[in-house]
Amino acid sequence: MKLAFPHMGNAYIPLRAVVNQLGIEAVVTEKPNRRTLQKGALHSPEFVCLPFKVTLGDCMNALEKGADTLAMVCGMWACRFGYYGRVQHLILRDIGYDFESVLIGREEPGEIWRKLRPAIGKNVARKVAGALALFRSKASAVELVEALARKTRPYEQERGSTDGLLELYLHHLDKASSQRRVWELKREARQAFGSLPMQDKNGTIRVRIVGELYVLLEPTLNLDLVRRLESSLGVEAQPVLSTYRWLISPLWLDPSLHIYSSRARRLTRAYLPYVLGGEEHMTIAGVVSAREDGFDGVIHAYPLTCMPENICRTILPDISSRTDLPLLSLCFDEHTSAAGLDARLEAFVDMLRARKEKRVLHGVIQASM
Amino acid sequence: MRIGLPRALMLYRYSPFLKTFLEECGFEVYSSPPTNLSILRAGTAVCIDDICVAVKVFFGHVAYLAKDVDAILIPRMVSVEKSKHPTFTCPKLIAAPDMIRHSFPHLPTLLEFTVDLQKVPWWWACIRLGKHLGVPMWRMVRAYIAAVLEDRRYERLLHSGLFPDDAMARLEGNGTSGPPSYLHEGDISVAIVGHPYLLGDSLLNQRLVHWLQASGARVYGSTMLNGEDVEKEIAHLLPLSWSYERELLEAAAYFLNRRDVDGVIYLTSFGCGPDSIMMEIVRRELRKEGDPPLLELVLDEHSVESGIRTRAEAFVDLLRHQKSKAG
Repeated sequence: MKLAFPHMGNAYIPLRAVVNQLGIEAVVTEKPNRRTLQKGALHSPEFVCLPFKVTLGDCMNALEKGADTLAMVCGMWACRFGYYGRVQHLILRDIGYDFESVLIGREEPGEIWRKLRPAIGKNVARKVAGALALFRSKASAVELVEALARKTRPYEQERGSTDGLLELYLHHLDKASSQRRVWELKREARQAFGSLPMQDKNGTIRVRIVGELYVLLEPTLNLDLVRRLESSLGVEAQPVLSTYRWLISPLWLDPSLHIYSSRARRLTRAYLPYVLGGEEHMTIAGVVSAREDGFDGVIHAYPLTCMPENICRTILPDISSRTDLPLLSLCFDEHTSAAGLDARLEAFVDMLRARKEKRVLHGVIQASM
Repeated sequence: MRIGLPRALMLYRYSPFLKTFLEECGFEVYSSPPTNLSILRAGTAVCIDDICVAVKVFFGHVAYLAKDVDAILIPRMVSVEKSKHPTFTCPKLIAAPDMIRHSFPHLPTLLEFTVDLQKVPWWWACIRLGKHLGVPMWRMVRAYIAAVLEDRRYERLLHSGLFPDDAMARLEGNGTSGPPSYLHEGDISVAIVGHPYLLGDSLLNQRLVHWLQASGARVYGSTMLNGEDVEKEIAHLLPLSWSYERELLEAAAYFLNRRDVDGVIYLTSFGCGPDSIMMEIVRRELRKEGDPPLLELVLDEHSVESGIRTRAEAFVDLLRHQKSKAG
């Protein structure tokens, strides 16, 4: 069995680990790029959300690379994401690919187990336990390395040194085969990032990025939003969502995530009392609490026609004007260009700088423009 | 107190019920008129750009009502059927009151009517609304019975084949009597599958029904189907979490299987989240070899009547050609 799963940021590192530990061969394709997106968009419904198109292109790449089984998360939610696996596999079969599908969350657990069981072989209990342990430690290591890179990138003296380290450690993490090695790498990474030559941290602008999960985490889709903000504009950018959170929280391997998200739900209740099935609570709570968490502005990134984020998009301007917090909404689709994004980010950051300087000058909070 | 009911979105299903309920409770109820250009423009001006056109129209109706009523009733449809697996409506219907509240600076009181049939029954939602308005219990019960009867009347009109706008006009007493022209026999019959707020809004669908009828077709709408008649049509498919879309899928299956329907039109609005998925399921999972032709028609605020007319006529021509070849 050759199992493939769609890319999402660096999620492939822990996912590859779990599949390999179970004794199944994982097919990991090249990271998605504009070609992948175009390939997927060709066969997707016209106004389905963007992650659908990218992951469809990704599945096609995987099948061409020899995968015979495709795994996807599914569910019965109000958001379209629950239908991705079902409809994508329908489309892929229709255009002539032949494969087995594993729809996690849609099929009965027994059904999935029956499909995977022959490929796993002997020592099942041990393999599953080992796989989960390595999965969790790799996910948290990826999270750590990404966070370290985000913290150092705006202040690096030599442009690109952080990204070099980041690539290096992600590569090592992907290759690591034991938990001990992952722990070692975590320690090494802390030291390596800590010893990078840094600039003065005074007066840096901090921006929080909220929005749709896939757009936030996949650099192909958001045109490297975080890196653009950090290395060319010198802004500290912090997404509210991470691969770790998405991978670990449904498995209940880290209770702190649940405490965090129930707090977010509580903050959201005043604006959206009902669950919409997406990450809307993280978006709304992210904006509501941004000022007290010390951020100067918020960027809201979402794919065209995303339902939960579109609803947030209608609500956010109101919150932003009430809390006097600058907000930039960015809608991404397959036609978004880097130049347009750059112009918007530059203008936004200029505005944040002007506000911050003015504030320091008068010592009072200025009304929004 | 004057209460406004916007004639858009889910109000195409529940307006007769809510109108009667509120009137019997002793309030003056004012429905916004059928969508016109100025309502559409007002809606697109307030609403964000990449949401579906039906929501924009909804915003337009609220803006229209905001001027001259004391309160606006905005239903929140969380789940509209009770079943074992989780069911929802479109997220935009779940969050409709929140979107409205945070988009307009000055609004009359918003009355919420939360329907979550997975958790509480329908009458409970009515009682909560009445309590909020300070209506005594005996009056609420009377109003509820009258509203249920009115709703039955509305459903009977829909089942007789009327489109939602005509059925509503007839209930309001300003429709013509006798069957409308699209129910006359034609040499071709076409079924339109789509949400009631698209089928019933002749500005949004650019008088599609009229153009089909003018080309000589008898027109069926998915609103004429009764849930119980068609629910077994898609029993072989995986369950859906969207109740309204499940109804559309059943309707599509029903019409595609009926041999006296020559063609099916799936009507949707640009940016409709659930429909982007449903269209693929209809096209790739539901439709079989030998089924009647299927036309997918996407509407948005830039649709023009001549465009819709051309497509309707071309589709009817195609059906006629096919029929003459087969016959």
